[in-house]
Amino acid sequence: MNMDLAEPDSTAVAAMPPEPDGETMADLVKAPSSTPLVTLEGVHKSFGKREVIAGVDLQVDAGQHIVIFGPSGSGKSTLLRMMNLLEIPSAGTLSAFGTSLTFPMKRDRVPVRQATAFRRNVGMVFQQFNLFPNMRALHNVAVPLMRTAGVKRAEAEERAAAALESVGLRKWCGHFPSELSGGQQQRVAIARALVLEPKLLLFDEPTSALDVEMIGEVLSVVRDLASAGMTMVIVTHELGFAKEIGDMHIFMEDGLVAEKGPRSLYDNPQNERTRRFLEAVL
Amino acid sequence: MSAVADVMASHTIYHWGLINTYRGQLLHGLLRALNVALASLVLSVVCGMLLAMWRMAPRRYSWPAALYINIFRGVPPLVSVIWVYFGLALAFNIQFSVFQASVIALVLLYSAFLAEIFRSALGAIPKGQREAGLSLGFRPRTIFFTVLLPQAAKISLPNVGSMLIGMVKDTSTFQVIGLMEVVYVSTNAEATTFQPFVLYTAAAAMYVIVAFVVDFVFRTLERSIGGRPVGMLPRLLTYRKERRVRAFAEA
Repeated sequence: MNMDLAEPDSTAVAAMPPEPDGETMADLVKAPSSTPLVTLEGVHKSFGKREVIAGVDLQVDAGQHIVIFGPSGSGKSTLLRMMNLLEIPSAGTLSAFGTSLTFPMKRDRVPVRQATAFRRNVGMVFQQFNLFPNMRALHNVAVPLMRTAGVKRAEAEERAAAALESVGLRKWCGHFPSELSGGQQQRVAIARALVLEPKLLLFDEPTSALDVEMIGEVLSVVRDLASAGMTMVIVTHELGFAKEIGDMHIFMEDGLVAEKGPRSLYDNPQNERTRRFLEAVL
Repeated sequence: MSAVADVMASHTIYHWGLINTYRGQLLHGLLRALNVALASLVLSVVCGMLLAMWRMAPRRYSWPAALYINIFRGVPPLVSVIWVYFGLALAFNIQFSVFQASVIALVLLYSAFLAEIFRSALGAIPKGQREAGLSLGFRPRTIFFTVLLPQAAKISLPNVGSMLIGMVKDTSTFQVIGLMEVVYVSTNAEATTFQPFVLYTAAAAMYVIVAFVVDFVFRTLERSIGGRPVGMLPRLLTYRKERRVRAFAEA
């Protein structure tokens, strides 16, 4: 993985407030210079007879912030999970990070070696956090460094502590997930997803499981990441936030991209269904 | 008092002092039983985990594991040990030692029980744990050993402890092949002293003490792993790690 070759977005770094001690968000984000990062072409996904993704094309450019929204069951989470190979497409091609995968694959599986190499470039933040309950916050973040990147324990813990500091949780290193609030857990999860310096970060409804008063602290971390130039795809119901942060907005329905466009999509939707959804939500 | 009256008296009066007389043999019997049970536990845990994973495979591959589990959960230890010690010798001319036969007999039974314990423990772990591991680029082996196993261990430890107690007790039936465990020692002592009540009570007391010790050890383990350590001993056992991590929090 040639992550060190990539340079952080210089304008974004300048926009960040100076942080004298500890790592800043920008230090952790190494946005690659090549475009596009991920390309999905004509992807389908069926569970048995039910087709949840019915032919989607999507291109994610480096540094782009893509927002996917839509009603439940529209396939937005499935589409997101494909970019991490947590769902294996039934048809179509997925090209990213120098490899191109054409589906369907033999026995509907991506070979382990290829899949793990692919996933190393992608971080994922889940709705339910999915922190490891048997580890302290520090080791939740350190363990990918040790197990995936082969970093020695002492260095991994050092870097994990720095990553936790960047989400404002250094003091909470020694706490187990069950001893943290939902917002804190989700910030640990973000630190864990960032620590391997992924080229792409996926958010699957990161605030849907949170109490209202904790949504803000998570969104502010996501906002920092965005301004640091991280490439992100976000599935969310927080449309106010989505509108603010995203530079490409995708409305999905029935496994298809019903409408996509810039910020103006929210104020002036072209698709009748988009309009009705936005009316109901906003 | 006549000699006959003396013998009669020895039948009705409990000579608790016999426990002291036979304490060496009884303790030897206990060690023998523990030896067999602990060796069986280690092997059964490994075999049980493998069986559990096989059992959790798609149905068209998993049926042999399911069949094995259902057969051997139903076989009594007495039958199992006779199969291994006498049956295999007769059928295939394989002669195990008494110790080996005892261990194999227990492993055959208890790997089936443990497989079900591990299956339910692994099944209790949320799907998101595996997905989190995958998303971090973990290989399947890493997911199993760093994510699933520690959590499954915490869930299954109390039941594994119960299984160990069961194993220690089941060794008592192995006197049929001549395993010199607690009950066999008691039976022998009874033959010369005519004091079954005293000696079998002593045997039972030893099993009960073992049960308490096993419970303590497994509860300490359970409280030391898989989350915030609870209680003085678990905290003491994890103290070094706690101190190391706290140093990062305070830096």
